[in-house]
Amino acid sequence: MTPGATLGAYLAVAALLFAIGAMGVLLRRSPLAMLMSVEIMWGAAGLALVAAARWWLDMSGQVVALLAMMVAAAEVAIGLALVVAIFRPRERVDVDDVRDLAG
Amino acid sequence: MVTQPQGSAADAAGAAALFVQSPWPAVVLAAPLAGALILAVWGRRMRPRAVAWVGVTAVAVALAGAVASLARYLSGRAALGEAFAGLRWPLWPFGEPGGPAVGLGLLGDGLSLWFALIVTGVGLLIHLYSVGYMAGDPGFSRYFAQLNYFIFAMSLLVTADSLVGTIIGWANVGLASYLLIGFWYQREDARAAAIKAFLVTFSGELGLVLAAALLASRTGTLAYYALFERLGGVPPAMLTAAGLLLLWGAAAKSAQLPLHVWLPDAMAGPTPVSALIHAATMVTAGVYLTARMYPLYEAAPVARSAVAWVGALSALFGALVACGQTDIKRVLAYSTMSQIGYMLLGVGVAAEAAGVFHFFTQAFFKALLFLAAGLIIHRLAGEQDMLRMGGLAGSMRLALAGYLVGALAMMGIPPFSGFYSKEAILEAAWARGGGVLWGLGVAGALLTAFYSVRMLALIFGGPPGPAVRAAAAQGGAGHHEPAADRAMAVPVAILTVLAAAGGWVWVPGRTAWAPAVLEPFFSRFREAGGPAAVHGAPLPGWAAWLPVAAAVVGALGAVAVYAGASTPARTRLAAPAPVAAAWGAGLYVDHGYRRVLVQPALRLAGWVSRQVEAGGIDEAVEGVAALAAGASRWLGRLQGGFVRRYALVVLATAAVLVLWVVAGV
Repeated sequence: MTPGATLGAYLAVAALLFAIGAMGVLLRRSPLAMLMSVEIMWGAAGLALVAAARWWLDMSGQVVALLAMMVAAAEVAIGLALVVAIFRPRERVDVDDVRDLAG
Repeated sequence: MVTQPQGSAADAAGAAALFVQSPWPAVVLAAPLAGALILAVWGRRMRPRAVAWVGVTAVAVALAGAVASLARYLSGRAALGEAFAGLRWPLWPFGEPGGPAVGLGLLGDGLSLWFALIVTGVGLLIHLYSVGYMAGDPGFSRYFAQLNYFIFAMSLLVTADSLVGTIIGWANVGLASYLLIGFWYQREDARAAAIKAFLVTFSGELGLVLAAALLASRTGTLAYYALFERLGGVPPAMLTAAGLLLLWGAAAKSAQLPLHVWLPDAMAGPTPVSALIHAATMVTAGVYLTARMYPLYEAAPVARSAVAWVGALSALFGALVACGQTDIKRVLAYSTMSQIGYMLLGVGVAAEAAGVFHFFTQAFFKALLFLAAGLIIHRLAGEQDMLRMGGLAGSMRLALAGYLVGALAMMGIPPFSGFYSKEAILEAAWARGGGVLWGLGVAGALLTAFYSVRMLALIFGGPPGPAVRAAAAQGGAGHHEPAADRAMAVPVAILTVLAAAGGWVWVPGRTAWAPAVLEPFFSRFREAGGPAAVHGAPLPGWAAWLPVAAAVVGALGAVAVYAGASTPARTRLAAPAPVAAAWGAGLYVDHGYRRVLVQPALRLAGWVSRQVEAGGIDEAVEGVAALAAGASRWLGRLQGGFVRRYALVVLATAAVLVLWVVAGV
């Protein structure tokens, strides 16, 4: 870890990334963009984990980060497949149009 | 030979009574039960001849079992003397260890066997008669299955060794009577009568169970002999209550005031069933119960005099109403009520043996009257209105002979059977019940003679009535099979002999077979010097013959009214219309019940149906449904299908949770 940099700086970056991702999920209407935003949030979580692991010299945090990456890859595969399946019969690609399960 | 006290080791206190193990009482139960089961399962596929064989044989075996039991009982008594109480056959114990020693077993003491003998003996004759009477009925096998079941239930009632067993038999008798009264279930009146009989007698079961609970709570047992040993520990008020509750049960089953209303309606069943109900089974259950429980009544004088009064009033009431009936079977129904009243009067004045003796003679003459009436009804194609009969003396010799003997026995004319038993009861009533009870009995005897002779005059006397002419025009009995007629004639002939001579088993000063069987039980639980001796009381010489004189007066009165035999004379008594209407309607007791119980119950049911069912339960159920529907509509709005809103909710929730955890830590 760079001298002078503290855990707080890493966590601040992670929080920023998480907020950007969350905003993306909430504000973008393209499912692909939403998936990418989710990936940003995964990245934020991973950063926080790795930083914390380095700070306390406990490698289990890094292990969890690696695990999270793999889960994220799997999630993207399923998510993309769902997106393709849902939007293939439609003309526009817009999550707000998918309201078939409205109560 | 195994001897042991009744009940478990807990009953060792009552070890004074010796019992001998013997399976013969079980035969009395097993045979009719087996017959009923065989006929119920395979009866439909059997030929009527086979059905008749199974049904009759089952009861014949039961009768043989009863005779063998009695022989065993008498030999045991001769060998063991005073301590010997009877035969015993345990079936199975139930009830919790340490709790009341409840078990189902069979008891063959004098009283049980006396009843079992009549139940199976008269039952056998009625089975035989039914073979002819019910020939060709589509429900032939069902009929015999139920008839066998009836015999089984009644046998269980009288041979059970505990109040529990008697109650079980009691309930089975109720079910059997329900089935048989409603045998012709296609008829509205038969169904109604069956339900009525079941409900009224069931109300009595309530009294029985309550009495049993009272007694068990204080004595810890319901086995008769053990119970009687321990009655001393029960408070007198509780004994009186139990005695009155038992009387309630007895009155309901035995058609005594004021619970007699089911009996006339029960005539909707086939006539042999009426004979069975009235002579051998069912209505005599109350007599058995009150006689069996005499040690309790011994300690509860109030309850005992209630028994006597209910009996005496029923004897008079039944005879009075019988005088105004025109349906031949309803006359007999009310006469049964009256005769059972005499039996209860006997029990109520501590002359249990006399009351049970009257059961014995009544079984013969009442079965005889019913079966003879069945011959007539059969001949007249179902006609039961006596005003449409008449002039049958020439064409129906056997029915006439049977009816004449039965009527004379019922009137208590010596030397026919009813004389001896009624005489014994009335003597005891005079000696221990007082003049009023005795007077009621004598008045009943007068009316009994009146309606008996009236019945004879209307059926057999005078010119042929319309129903008789119609039957003659159709060729009379031409369509009957001789075998069926024989099956009906033989029991009537046997019963004629028994009704004439049955009373000779107990002629004071000459024969004492009946007391030899009965008295051991009836003196066992009575202190010496108590009111045990039936004939020990002084009775003025003239009073002993007064009942017979009253009967003669009643008979002469009926002859004077009805012997004219012209059609107007038949209805002469019915002249004042309101009186006749009241008479025919059984003095409006039924109407009273309808007004006081049935109609309020129907109104309550209607109110419940409208208000509680429609207004309460329906509304509640529909309200729950509406609540669920409304809630789901409201909750459904959360599911807008707007994916990004879901995401916002998830995020906001996560944020709140994080804040909560952080702040909480």
